Amino acid sequence: MAKIPKMSVTNNVGGSPVAAIVTILVLAGLFLFPRFVASPYALHIMILFFLSTIMGESWNILGGYTGQYSVGHAAYFGVGAYATMMLMQFRQIPPWYGVWGGMAAVVVVALVIGSICFRLRGPYFVLASIAVAEILRLTAMNLKELTNGAEGILATELPPFTIGGTVVTDFLTKVPFYYIGLVMALLTIVVTWGVQRSKLGYCFQAIREDQDAAHSLGISLTLYKNVALIISALLTSLAGSFYAIYIGFIDPPTVLALDISVQIVLICIVGGIGTIFGPVVGAMVLVPLSEALRSNLIARAIFATGLVSEESGVGNFLKENLAHAHALIYGILVVVVILFMPDGVLGFFRKLAARKAKS
Amino acid sequence: MTVFLQSLISGILIGGVYALIGIGLTIIFGVMRVINFAHGDIMMVGMYLTYNLFTLAGIDPFVSILITIPLMFLFGGLLQKLFINRVLNALPQNQILLTIGLGLIMSNTMMLIYTSDYKILTTSYSSSSINVFGISVSEPLAISFIITAVITLLLYWFLMKTDTGQAIRATAQDREAAQLMGINVKRMSIIAFGLGASLAGTAGALVSPTYYIFPQIGSTFTLKAFVITVLGGMGSVIGATLGGIIIGVAESLGAVYISSGWKDVVVFVLFLLVLLFKPAGLMGKSRM
Repeated sequence: MAKIPKMSVTNNVGGSPVAAIVTILVLAGLFLFPRFVASPYALHIMILFFLSTIMGESWNILGGYTGQYSVGHAAYFGVGAYATMMLMQFRQIPPWYGVWGGMAAVVVVALVIGSICFRLRGPYFVLASIAVAEILRLTAMNLKELTNGAEGILATELPPFTIGGTVVTDFLTKVPFYYIGLVMALLTIVVTWGVQRSKLGYCFQAIREDQDAAHSLGISLTLYKNVALIISALLTSLAGSFYAIYIGFIDPPTVLALDISVQIVLICIVGGIGTIFGPVVGAMVLVPLSEALRSNLIARAIFATGLVSEESGVGNFLKENLAHAHALIYGILVVVVILFMPDGVLGFFRKLAARKAKS
Repeated sequence: MTVFLQSLISGILIGGVYALIGIGLTIIFGVMRVINFAHGDIMMVGMYLTYNLFTLAGIDPFVSILITIPLMFLFGGLLQKLFINRVLNALPQNQILLTIGLGLIMSNTMMLIYTSDYKILTTSYSSSSINVFGISVSEPLAISFIITAVITLLLYWFLMKTDTGQAIRATAQDREAAQLMGINVKRMSIIAFGLGASLAGTAGALVSPTYYIFPQIGSTFTLKAFVITVLGGMGSVIGATLGGIIIGVAESLGAVYISSGWKDVVVFVLFLLVLLFKPAGLMGKSRM
């Protein structure tokens, strides 16, 4: 039999009373957060954090647990985003119905992609997944009548959400988005948790550890890989729909490009692949980092320490350019993580803790 | 008919440059089994190098490859020694991500230095063309094709006839056996990555008179390089040469007969078809 899954049930929620209390406190804190913090910027950061968590967790099911390194997840993100946006803008279907349209479209796309890519292994699978996502991006660029092509789609009006005539929310503030994001992020974590503890999850992990051995034990590779892909793709499409509605504008480079796929993988790599909280940690590291760079916080922090004066040539250069450099820092981060913490931040600290316990 | 011949020939000429990119990638993969996702970005570095040599020192792009080749060789060797060498035994996905990260660093460093504006390198012959039997051929493309052919032939000679070349091929065939035979595989890896980088850099130099130069151009060429190497068979130099020319022609014909917007789709569909029906590529032995 394949090796016993490395991270099998090490981080289950509610294992001890302390963990249960911490979980409840964190959840309560998250749900009450908008009551105490009104700053739209803080809410925005939290929403981005939820979005990254959803993207990371959903990739994790296919990449982390099943070992199928898709670098084409922008395909599902983009299809979800486009379907929801097109239904809303061109057919006046409100997004809470459109999301289902997006999910249906994503299942079809995932089955097609799966039937092509799962015939291949290792680096060939990675390349094929990229190629399929690129084909979708180019298609969205070229089908101008359907998708507006390179111009993208701008959401002009988001209808208020009503149940039986009473308005639940009109989406005028960021608060409803905060709660939608929070609930969806929790949903993906629960799904991952459920998958990890179920027989399905064990089949996934067996395929990851050694797919030939798993196959010889009677695990259908095609079936389980496709199931993992569909779960993963559905959740990614949710993230895509959420992104489209929240930001209100999509075009092929922002939702279908290779960068998105890489970013999704990064969230998991930085946090730790194949663990429930890896993507959460990854999102916690990456979102504040890229926001801090974008808003020039880091440049200001450097000035505050007095290392570089703001008026000097270097200071000016930093102020002008550091905001554009967030992708550079991303790159450096990937290289550092891969070279020095190949199991991600979570795995790194776990190893440190284990070493301390030993000595 | 003239249109067909015209696009066929320009496809072959462009294909020569593609072949250079593909050969670089295939040598790196052959020797180290690492898929270099930073390949297009290395090429982009070559383009900027050429651009600088032209604007600052007035050196013609086709002459500047004499400087570009050794510099890019050093650059590649350094990358191998500092980064790639450490992940040779790591999971393939970590290798891929490492090279993606290196590519991000390269393209964004260039963006910090040169901003993301499109740079154009205009030479006296950038838009001139030669007439051969009623078919007009772009002059810079024709020159670059000749240079490509010479470089490719030199490379074949190097790999087939010289001791170092044979050692590289031996390392590619079986790393452990080569090591047992007393080949310094670490050195071969550095040479291989250096060669790959200098080929990519040369390709960058050769296309710089005809392409826009900007920091993000790399990913387009990285993807093209994959298509070319997979098409020809990962690790096969002759395969990559063939693959480059096929992709050049497919693109050129696709642009004329379908539309220029869809030409890349043609390339990727071709890629998937090859992966599905002949995964070892045209010239490769099965390694699946």
